[in-house]
Amino acid sequence: MSDAAPAVADEADASPASGEPAPDVAIRLETLTKRYPGSAVPAVDHLDLTIPRGELVALVGPSGCGKTTTLKMINRLVEPTEGTVWIEGTDARTLPAHQLRRGIGYVIQQAGLFPHRTVADNIATVPKLLGWSRERVHERVDELAELLGLDADLLPRYPAALSGGQQQRVGVARALAADPPVLLMDEPYSAVDPIVRARLQDELVRLQRQVHKTIVLVTHDIDEAIKLADRIAILRAGGHLEQVGPPEELLRAPTSEFVADFLGDDRGIKRLSLITVDDVALREGPVVGMTDSPATARAVMADQGVDWVGVRDGDRLLGWVGAADLDGEPTLATAPRRPFRAVFTPGTTLKAALDGIVTSQTRVAVIEDDQRYLGMLTLDDLAEGVTEGSGEPLEAVGEDAP
Amino acid sequence: MTLLASGPLIDWEWIGEHLDVIRAATVEHLQLTAIAVGIGFALSMALALLALQWRWSYPLLAGFCSVLYSIPSLALFGILVPITGLGTVPAVIALVGYTLLILLRNIVAGIEGVPAPVREAADGMGFEHWRRLARVDLPLALPAIIAGLRIATVTTIGLVTITAYVGLGGYGDLIREGLRRQSAPQASTLVILGTGLSVVMAVVFDLLFVGVEHLATPWARRPRLAPIEPMEPVPVAAIPAGGSLSDG
Repeated sequence: MSDAAPAVADEADASPASGEPAPDVAIRLETLTKRYPGSAVPAVDHLDLTIPRGELVALVGPSGCGKTTTLKMINRLVEPTEGTVWIEGTDARTLPAHQLRRGIGYVIQQAGLFPHRTVADNIATVPKLLGWSRERVHERVDELAELLGLDADLLPRYPAALSGGQQQRVGVARALAADPPVLLMDEPYSAVDPIVRARLQDELVRLQRQVHKTIVLVTHDIDEAIKLADRIAILRAGGHLEQVGPPEELLRAPTSEFVADFLGDDRGIKRLSLITVDDVALREGPVVGMTDSPATARAVMADQGVDWVGVRDGDRLLGWVGAADLDGEPTLATAPRRPFRAVFTPGTTLKAALDGIVTSQTRVAVIEDDQRYLGMLTLDDLAEGVTEGSGEPLEAVGEDAP
Repeated sequence: MTLLASGPLIDWEWIGEHLDVIRAATVEHLQLTAIAVGIGFALSMALALLALQWRWSYPLLAGFCSVLYSIPSLALFGILVPITGLGTVPAVIALVGYTLLILLRNIVAGIEGVPAPVREAADGMGFEHWRRLARVDLPLALPAIIAGLRIATVTTIGLVTITAYVGLGGYGDLIREGLRRQSAPQASTLVILGTGLSVVMAVVFDLLFVGVEHLATPWARRPRLAPIEPMEPVPVAAIPAGGSLSDG
């Protein structure tokens, strides 16, 4: 999937023909521009962006970069000065604004719940505007309360009686009520405390796996974007699109100084949380069998430059034996074994693996899948994984071992 | 003033014999108050909508209402009577004039006080302009609007007594009679009765509006304390090294 939107040279009114969407494109912004009267610099300047269906795209940038303006042009809370917003192949201007908005979920900072309506009525807002029957609205409200983990006894309450986190969940339920294909989220978690924020972010990830909406999320928090987005669009002041791509790609290969700066000077560390163990090549490591002799073990240690050796029995890695404990033992089976501290599954992030490595005595992370030994990782391997990029299939080093 | 020249301060016997007069005065007082506040409210609402639509007009409208509000009531009757003659018309015009400033200001302040995120959410959900006004802005402005109605009504009940000078009934008529016939044995009874009933009516309406506000704005009642979000066990890894949860 290419990020580059088809180039549209025509700056004047876009002809309808240019809006033919690819079938997997939910939203396309075409030379989208907003100039506010009295301001010399446009808030958003000829922005082209394609948003694939079912993806969560984060618009990120410093304040004044036009990210919120861009978001609001999608549901026409801000009318573009120039350019076109295509939603599912339809020019957003061809519908009356209120009708367009009823088909687009909208979540804002501080939730923006209606204080004079109960939680249930808040959630029911758009279905009621659309004239759904009472029973259908009722059913849908219950369904959403369950989806968002809202207790049924919250439904008849007024928003003032809810905590910030609960209010934000109601805000999301309200936005999803009429099952819109597109969801716009404007700094949805900036008003809640960090612990609640982290939980809400995890919930969104889980929710998105269930509902598969096309989500456009505005945030100034690059870590939030990295955590949530399939694709990040970084904007620079004046509404210029600097770079767009999957978080991992941005962190690996920022195309400009600005993007690199914005991502922070810990890009490598950030990437560790995006790459999983199965993306990097595992090594077999200093491992011997139960029946091997101390001499064999010493040879392996010398070969690999460590003072310990892993002991495996068939598919299982049982633990490790230190060099000093080998003396006088006939085979490795009787030598005193210690367990590995850092044992992970292939789905673990490299960040967690790193943590395991630096806190373990053997300086390796052992990777197992259902007790089957797959291999191990050292600090060098992690560095390799981060610098080399991703996509290396997991090498099943365990397969051909004795 | 030797108002209380003769007779008992309050002649209960006279009152007992003239309940029909008192009832008529009460009805007339209520009617005039209701008409004035009703018209005043409708007019203020129209002016408020105008002011919200064209912002620049608000200072002009509010200024005009302030001028009306500042004219002494007797002087206003003096201006109106030569034009309209005596009777209900000048009375209602004057009374309405006095309600406008309070009501306009409270309606506009109430609607402007709707939190920006709420308004933005309403627009974003797809409310049309008029629907947002009816379903979101006005309900949320209700406490301010009712507060305005409360002040306007209490003020008007007091002012209605003065309309006796343009020939209308109500409690003002009782007071005026008492003041005019100071030598009559019931003079003090009439003055005290008219004044007292007017005050009682004002207090009753004041309390009535408190009740109406309470009933009409269940969401604005002192909320129970927001529940504390249930804490989930925090994974050890989430606790910053060298820090404690409390300073997080």
